Parts: sequence; C-alpha cells; structure tokens
Amino acid sequence: MSKKDRVSSTLELRGVSRHFGPVKALDGLDLVVAPGELVALLGPSGCGKTTALRIVAGLEVATSGELLVNATRYNEVAANARDMGMVFQSYSLFPNLNVYENIEYGLRARKFDSIQRAKRVAQMLELVALESKAKSFPHQLSGGQQQRVALARALAIEPRVLLLDEPLSALDAQVRGQIREEIRRIQLELGITTLFVTHDQEEAMTIADRVGVMNHGKLEQIDKPITLYNSPATPFVALFVGLANRIPAEITGQGEAKVLNQKIKIFDSAEKFSDGAKVNLIIRPEALELVSESDNEATRGIVALKSFLGPMTKVGIAVEGAPLIHLNIASRDVRKLEIGDKIAFKISIDQVMAEHV
Amino acid sequence: MGTKALYKVATIMSVSLLQKWSIIIFASLLGLILFILPVIASSIYSFQKPGGKGYTFVSYTWLLHQDGFFASMGTSLKLAVLAGILNIFLMVPTMVYLNLKGQKFKPLVDFICILPLVIPVVSLAIGAQNAMPSFLQNSQYELVFFFVVIGLPFTYRTLDNSLHAIALKTLVEASRSLGASWIRTIIRVILPAIRGGITGALFLTFALSIGEYTITSLLHWETFPTWTVVASQQNILGAIALSVFSFVGAIALLSTIAVFAKKGVQQVEVDR
Repeated sequence: MSKKDRVSSTLELRGVSRHFGPVKALDGLDLVVAPGELVALLGPSGCGKTTALRIVAGLEVATSGELLVNATRYNEVAANARDMGMVFQSYSLFPNLNVYENIEYGLRARKFDSIQRAKRVAQMLELVALESKAKSFPHQLSGGQQQRVALARALAIEPRVLLLDEPLSALDAQVRGQIREEIRRIQLELGITTLFVTHDQEEAMTIADRVGVMNHGKLEQIDKPITLYNSPATPFVALFVGLANRIPAEITGQGEAKVLNQKIKIFDSAEKFSDGAKVNLIIRPEALELVSESDNEATRGIVALKSFLGPMTKVGIAVEGAPLIHLNIASRDVRKLEIGDKIAFKISIDQVMAEHV
Repeated sequence: MGTKALYKVATIMSVSLLQKWSIIIFASLLGLILFILPVIASSIYSFQKPGGKGYTFVSYTWLLHQDGFFASMGTSLKLAVLAGILNIFLMVPTMVYLNLKGQKFKPLVDFICILPLVIPVVSLAIGAQNAMPSFLQNSQYELVFFFVVIGLPFTYRTLDNSLHAIALKTLVEASRSLGASWIRTIIRVILPAIRGGITGALFLTFALSIGEYTITSLLHWETFPTWTVVASQQNILGAIALSVFSFVGAIALLSTIAVFAKKGVQQVEVDR
C-alpha cells in the first residue's frame, strides 16, 4: 500500500458541538483537514480536543453540527462503518490475539479473504518493522512496539482518515521521539489524512502540517507551527505554545506600552486598551537579550535561576516589581554567569502582545 | 554500606524469613489437624471390617448398589451444568452492558445479586416456586433457576472483577473502529479477554449447584446431596464411605474442571 494506491480524504467539521448537560465540551468547532494533511489539535486537558476526535471516530455523538468526509455527511454513520483508523493512548491491543492477528482483526471484520489478509498484514509488519514479532502477544512487547502494532492495525484497513488520540503519552521520552518520527514518516509515505490529538506542544509542532490550539471547546487558532509560534492570535495561544513571560506594563497611548525601562508597540487585537490601563505583555524568553549596563533602555536585575538546556541556558532574572523574568541565552554566552550576579537586559523585538491584567 | 549495617539487614531478613516459615508450618499443622486428619481417619474407618478386624471394600460396594446412586448423581451433574451455562448466558451480557453503558444501574443489580445471601432459603424456595409457571413447578429443572439465583452473588463479583481488569471501553472502541460488529466484538474480544472470569463464574455456579441441599430438600426433589442423607441413615459404615466418596469425588471433579479450564486458557494463547 503506497501513496499512489490510495485516495486521500477531506475531513470537515462544521459547527460541531458536544454538550454534557450544562458543560460545553465542544463549542461550534469548524475544522477542515485537507487530503493527506496532518493536523494536530493541541490544548490543555478538558479543552475538547479528544471529544472532537471521538466524534470523528463515531464513538461520541455531536449535539449539533455536521461531520463530513469527502463532502458526505457522516453524523449518522455507525463507528464500525466509518472506515476510520484509530490509535489510542493506551494502545488497546487485543490481549488474546498476537501481533499478526491484531493487525488482521479489521481485515477479518471486512471479510477479506485469507490471501489478501496475509499480504496486507505482511505489508503492515514491514511498514512498522515488526516482522519478527508477528507471533508475539501484546504483553511480550515494549510500549513502543505495542504502539507500532496499534498503528499498523489502524492502517491495515486503509482508513479514510487516521485518528491519533495522544498516541505517545504513555511512552518514555526517547521512544516517544522515535515513534513520533515513525508516525510522520508513515503518514507522509501513505499520504493519509490524519487528525492528531495531543496536549504536548513539542509533539504537535514537530509532527503536524498545521496545529489547532483549542481552549474551552473552541478553536483559538489553527495555523502552521511557525506562524502559531511567531504570530499567535490570542494571549492564550501565545502562552500555551512555547514559553512566554508575562511582564506587567502600562498603556501609554498610540498603541504603545511602557514596560520595564522601555516603550514598545503592542499588536492590534480584539481587546482594546485605554490609556493608562494596566496590562501584561507576553514576551518570549528569546525576545529578551543581555545588554551592557550603560544601555539607557536596559533593565537591571539579579540572576536567580540558571538551567542548562544543552545549546541554550534558561536564565531567570529577579527584577524589582516584576515576576521572575526568563531569558533563553546561548550557553556559551553565559558560562561565567553565576546566581546572584547583577545583569542588564532589554526587549529585542519591536512589537509584543498584551492582555488585560 | 558498612559491616554493621549489612549485619543489621541480614538479621532483619533472617528474622522475617523465620517468621514466614513459622507461619507456614503453623498453618500446615492446623490444616493437618482440622482438615486432613479427619478425612484420613474417616477413610481408614470406611475400609474397616465390622469389629475393626482387617480392611474391605464392602462399604463402597454397598454404596454403588444402592438404588438411586447413579440416577441422583446424574441429575445433580445435569442440573449443575445447566445452571452454570444459564448463569453465564444471563450474566456475561448483563455485566458487559453494566460496565460499558449501564453504570448507573450497577448499584441496583449489585443489590439484587446480593439478595440470595440475605433472603432466608425457605422464603426463597417457596416464594420463588410460586412465581414460576406450573410446567416448571412440576419439573426438576426448576432447580436450575434456583441454582442460578444462589450463584448470582459469586458470578456478579467474579465477572465484574475480570471486566475491571481489562480496559473494556477502549477495547470495545478499538474493535468497533476497526469495523467489527457488536457480536464480533463480544465473541472475539470481550469473551476471550475475560475467559478466566467466565471459567471462574462457571466453576462457582457448578460447585454451588452440585452441593446444594436445602432448596432441593424443601421442594422435594432428589439430587445427590438429598440422596446421600437418606442413604446414610441405613448403614453407618456406608454413610462414612459415602462422605469420603463425596469429598474425594468433589475434589477430583472440581480439580479436573479447573485443570481443563486452565489448559483451555493456555491453549487459546498457544493457538494464537
């Protein structure tokens, strides 16, 4: 099964909501996943991302809205007739079936003959490099191997859409990286339309073509990872994607705010700020730089924290009247810096995002 | 770690090992005195000739020649097997439903299943019999339904525990998302995953049914337990032989079932 053998599908959610009593788990979600695209839904626990995925899979019923696959309404189609391959966080391999039979399960349900089944299972085992484990039972496999089997099982049925529900959450950091790359390789190789749900921003940013950030059942922003990081549409997105400082500031008029010892422009947003309003500016650690103490715009502080992160070091600076401010600085530049040292820094970008206090 | 610390650890370990062995030896002795010795004594006595001079099988041959021995045993086995099967057919889908979709009904069903333990057997037997259709009231097969009822508290717990031990919801969702129907999901995924629980439930119902006396006696049916009471009143040595036979027979039968059940589970894994 290769990319040229299959026809990718378009997945579309139109105003999909799911209410549990007074709780709106999903509130009018609009989303289009293009054929062969991998879209990650990212958000904190309870934001509705898993509910959205389960509605697509047919495991949850939408209170309102429409689910379309290739422009055909799918709301009323039963879960077992949707042709969606799903990979679960907890692997969910059938414990009484070995690897071969787990992968074969969906094909049996679709009444494939034994020759077709054997051929397809062999392809899948090769795809996830588990040919030698065909006769093993789930309990004899590592977490990473189990998740690869789960992926092969979901792909064996040649699903219209592949649904991944936090598939890497139960794995340790090293295996997580490997499986993540493997999922992306296979997804690109097969060109399968994929919806990936995660609360891990690194995971979402590295694997997806586009990332949708969700909050309180709504999609706050959906864009390419780089756009999402550099041009967040809302303070929530800015704070949720990547690290950001919240530094108190005061609006001085004409779209400017006074923060620390500097004046800086703020982005236009839906929120309007009056002159003199107290706000928080959302500034990423890499948007702050160390400067000479003689710089007029420099803010002085004391190094309170120093965390080595490999090529970069995270430095926490205690400044009077502000919370601890974090900077990401190349490790080679801060080798001599010690906790308690006096230091000067300033904001090195022209425009930042503001939020009401 | 210094020598003193090592010595301390070794002392603690040897003390705990000593305690462990003391408990094992004490429990074995207690078991021997309370459980095995009476069986051995009864067995020896059952083989003795009247007057205690020499040994013979006469008590056992007497047993086999009594009217109703094979018939009552056959009836008990038949009813116990039927009760086990009916219980499984009734309880497995019920428990799956309760654990998947009917969580809110679980306390109610749990309560109902506990009732056979708290309702006096006389009330249960007479009351339930009156509620049965007349064709059942006149048939020994009515006992099957009583045996199912007295097995409920045990099958409920056994099946509930085994369903809790598997990720039922995600297994079902995985199966459904792969295109399987509900029937295929139950047969190919749920039943094999809780095979141990089903075997346990079957085993418990069978064991309870084959030894049930009170209800059978109250309803005037003859099964092996009621037959043994009548037969044992005729011959004291025969009665002891009967009790030894029943004990050894029950142990042998239940062990055989347990071994077959275990082999069945292992075979499933090997075959796969």
